[in-house]
Amino acid sequence: MILGIFYARFFPQEGPKIVAQSPPGCITASSSSSGNNNNSNNSNNSTHGNNNSSSSSSNNNSHSHSNNSPLVDFDVLQEYIIPRQAFCNRFISINSPDGKYTILGFPVVIPHTKYMRNEFIFNFGLLVDAECDQAPFESVVRCLAETFAEMEKQNEYLSLSEAKGPEDDSMRRPIESLLEIVKEDLNNYGECMIPVDEANIINMKLFPHHATPPVVKGWHVPVARTKFPEIVDPTWDITLQKVVAKIDGVSDVRRIAHEASVSLDLAKIAIRHLLYYDTILLLDIFFFSSCYAPRPGIHDFIRNVDGIVDECAGYVSHGRARVSNYLLIRFMASFSPGKSIKEWIMNHRDNGFELMSYIDIRRFVQFGVIKGCLYRVHKYVVSKQYLASLATGQSRPLAGGDPLQKYTDGCHHMDQIMTEQNLTNDQVMDRLKMLPVPRGDITVFYR
Amino acid sequence: MSCVNDENFLAVALVINRSRDGPAFVFHYPSHVPALTNGHEKSDVIDVEDILFEQIAPPSGAENGPEPAEDGGVRDDHYTTEAGVQVVPWEHVAGFPARDLAYILTPARPYHKKIFQLSLDPLLCISYPIHVPENGKWKKTKKANKEVDDNIAPDEPNPPPTSKTDSNPEKTKDGKRDESDEDKRSSMTMFNLVFFLDPKRHEAKELVDSLFSNIVKKVNKAYQYSQQHSEFVWKESKRILAAKEKAREDKKKMSALWKELIQNSSLAASMCEVYNAISQNRIATLHLDTVDGILTPSVQIPVPFFVADLPAEDDERHRGLWLTTSNAFLSQDALEEPGFLDRNFALLLMDDEKKIIAELQNDRDPTTLSMIEFVRLAKPTVSFYQVGQSNILTLDQVRKYAQHFIFWRRAIAIPPLHPRDVYIVSPNCDLERLPQDAQDWQRAFPLAPPLSTFLAELSVLPRPYKHISPSKAHRPLYLRMLAWLMRGGWVTQLCTFAYVVVWPEILYEVDYEMEAEELGIATSSVDGGDATSIHTTQENADAQSTHSSLASPTQPQHPPQPPHQQQQQQQQQQTPPDAHALSQSPSSHGPKPSTTTTLSAAEHSAEMARLERIAIKAHREAADKATAHARKTSPVPTPNPSLNDAPHLAGLTPHIILDPKKAAGKESRYLAAIARRFRDDKLRSGWQLLCKYFDGRCALERIALQEDMKRKEAWALLTGMREYLLLTRHW
Repeated sequence: MILGIFYARFFPQEGPKIVAQSPPGCITASSSSSGNNNNSNNSNNSTHGNNNSSSSSSNNNSHSHSNNSPLVDFDVLQEYIIPRQAFCNRFISINSPDGKYTILGFPVVIPHTKYMRNEFIFNFGLLVDAECDQAPFESVVRCLAETFAEMEKQNEYLSLSEAKGPEDDSMRRPIESLLEIVKEDLNNYGECMIPVDEANIINMKLFPHHATPPVVKGWHVPVARTKFPEIVDPTWDITLQKVVAKIDGVSDVRRIAHEASVSLDLAKIAIRHLLYYDTILLLDIFFFSSCYAPRPGIHDFIRNVDGIVDECAGYVSHGRARVSNYLLIRFMASFSPGKSIKEWIMNHRDNGFELMSYIDIRRFVQFGVIKGCLYRVHKYVVSKQYLASLATGQSRPLAGGDPLQKYTDGCHHMDQIMTEQNLTNDQVMDRLKMLPVPRGDITVFYR
Repeated sequence: MSCVNDENFLAVALVINRSRDGPAFVFHYPSHVPALTNGHEKSDVIDVEDILFEQIAPPSGAENGPEPAEDGGVRDDHYTTEAGVQVVPWEHVAGFPARDLAYILTPARPYHKKIFQLSLDPLLCISYPIHVPENGKWKKTKKANKEVDDNIAPDEPNPPPTSKTDSNPEKTKDGKRDESDEDKRSSMTMFNLVFFLDPKRHEAKELVDSLFSNIVKKVNKAYQYSQQHSEFVWKESKRILAAKEKAREDKKKMSALWKELIQNSSLAASMCEVYNAISQNRIATLHLDTVDGILTPSVQIPVPFFVADLPAEDDERHRGLWLTTSNAFLSQDALEEPGFLDRNFALLLMDDEKKIIAELQNDRDPTTLSMIEFVRLAKPTVSFYQVGQSNILTLDQVRKYAQHFIFWRRAIAIPPLHPRDVYIVSPNCDLERLPQDAQDWQRAFPLAPPLSTFLAELSVLPRPYKHISPSKAHRPLYLRMLAWLMRGGWVTQLCTFAYVVVWPEILYEVDYEMEAEELGIATSSVDGGDATSIHTTQENADAQSTHSSLASPTQPQHPPQPPHQQQQQQQQQQTPPDAHALSQSPSSHGPKPSTTTTLSAAEHSAEMARLERIAIKAHREAADKATAHARKTSPVPTPNPSLNDAPHLAGLTPHIILDPKKAAGKESRYLAAIARRFRDDKLRSGWQLLCKYFDGRCALERIALQEDMKRKEAWALLTGMREYLLLTRHW
């Protein structure tokens, strides 16, 4: 949200001054452009650094039409709005002393002998809340600086308007109203397209800044968070379209790539792209033999925070009757490290609950994982010999040796070995038994 | 929490402002701060840069000289341009002329003791500017001194020995007279220790926050303290500036000058320490050699030593940290309860005990003796409270030393290790360390099974740790091994958390009881001839009608009413018992006979008849109610309420009490009803005592410590209550 937008200039005689601003009085006390004279006197006073300027400006304020007092103290901040030349031609931001606002600007110096003192210095800046994400506004500030610097160089757009005054040039929009449109459009629509003169249009859009998504691996299972069929259109990247069509919440990335006839690396990039826009989640591959355990988020489930249990019931029930909240809570809480899903189901069967006939187990587990109630306990295979060789630095991958050896350093879980080698769990275990290592060298642990 | 390193933390610089000579750039460290290239914004600004390239040649000015752009400002010696301008290597910092930086980094008074955050893309400067008090004198009156003293390092539990030679009035007066002449000409009006950062976009806010509150603010405050007491910053700045001026004339190499300054000026040395330590995420110990004595404040960005929940897969910063909820789940109540922390936590040294003792022995401070004693006593298996019971150290000493060790990152506080507790391989352990740690493990415990085997042992099936050690004689060794694994974040305790489950049998029993009580009140009022009665039935009408056939009818003259009608009447009956007088709103009943004489006798009798009808109806309803109640199956306690599947309980699902401490109304009756079920007196009283732990936040494993019970006893009680608990297990 842009709280204020302004155009500041350095005047050879009067020093830095706000020429136009919107809303009026957000940076310096001012009325509309007619009050310009009055205003310049005021800021002129302040550049001499007398302490009375603030009181005089507030005095002035009460006389003028605008009754908004400035949000910031221009006397304090002008040093950063029109800084020394060494700092010009770059993006500058400064917080206000009260910590409430941040001023974003891009002071521009255009040297030319035609100007008094051989240079023209200006800054189009924004006043935003200190807490808001400034990244989208940075490009706005850059764009304004770029456009107006270019226009000034082409036809002295800025300096001429000063000389003539706005009434001489009826064809042209006054800068103040221009700024107001920019501010309103960006605040209301997140973008603006404003013709400034015959040749120049200001085109801007606020782009939210997303964090870099994690790298997608072959064993991740993407789960859609949006209804892709509704948003995909033929202009999308073809690979992305192929990949999106295969996302079903069960298939891992390797399988998706295979089924979509897309190379694995491209599929990973495509899925990472979806991840960037937060349209998918990444889970692990579901096996009845794997093990899940509660994490602290389980308490939200037990307490039914935000109706999470009811949501779960809707997601997992497939029998005739909806399973009661109590039972769902009991099922969710009864996961434990060292107990596979199969064993978990058996335990409940022994207690008289045939889980399979009430709930979709995969959905139930995935619901727990997505909501942070459960985590997957992964299986790892370690070779002591290989570890020892890594520690001493003389890692010796056996020439032509087994492709599985590199996985036995404890950093690769079984899902990874299985997807990368296209083997099943049992096949991997059998192959590991055939590794030429001493008895008891290979250990399996869970984490 | 954010990770500060030498990539995002570029330099520190001290800038001052003077009353006559204006701003001055005093010192910066490291000596060479290269100009930043605009890395992460390239794509956005191509067009802008096109324009700007034309202007990049700075406007002609004698002093600006050519930018040392081609070597990124990294130059050690002076050189002279063709125009005959001497370029001094320290006069360009991060690609900017130091003189200009001095101006822009000396903000006006409104920024006094506020965060000052200026981004000169891509360089980000943050600081905490300190201005001279309005009266123009840095020295504070005695009274104010105390306050500032506390401010230096409020988080530091063990304030550094600030050896102040108590103000020697004559000496300071003399000193003042010497400098008074100079001070008249120009004196420092503000100083500002600025931190130059180059954060990545996503980390900027977090980095600024943690650096500002932990370091920037504290170091500037420490400088302010030294300035107020002995004009330290101003005096040192003058020396540094003079040395720089001289070196400029002598064309001294920058590296030589910087070495000299750091050796000779404790202010320069302190900046060097701040940068070197903080950019390596160590503790910075400043050493300010002021006239009044040496000040040694220390600052650090606290490192997290645990996480409460699994971090994201790609979150490398938290990988390998101890995974526990023992801190995160602490309620405010628990923290305020005296002795809670002492009983629940023990000290785990992060280094070898012998090594730490040897280090302590080097220090000849008198407190070290008792500290050594503390290190010997405080085992990870012994809670602070138990250490305090040893009669060698007081509990206060124990707390103080523990905080000291924790502050200096030599130890962490963990729930005491116990062989009966269950430990699992931490899902957050850092597997990349496995090869190295396996080797270290072998060295530390040559006779123990290899690390990977041991982890496999722990992870296959969670069970009490003592089952893993081969015999009782091995236990002390195995506990040491456990401590080693805890230290490395390899294991975490698997704790049990509980909630109270109220089974349908209990629900029914309590409801039945409450209904009976209400009916008791109602019947008595009916007997007394009063026309109205209240009853609120919680039972749902369906259940009532289903079970009515099972009940033995005592008053068969009233057939059970259809449920919807009954509900309607219930709503009508929601008025208080003495509704006669109170609930008759004037609007519905018209003026009262006593107040208005105009009321005719007919109207009066009609009114009376109406009231009578209401009374009869209410009476009948009460009777119906009683009938319905009487027809219900009376609750029959069974030995295992959880298994009771009697037909009258069919519609009820078990209820979970989330926090027994806050249980009120019905829930408290449920708890009482459960208590009555325990045959054993011990269990019954135990239930009252332990109930408060069944809120899903207290690990049951720690009850014994908290209640000063034997573990066996506590577990026996909990096992007895097992039927009424919903359990879940995590770290």
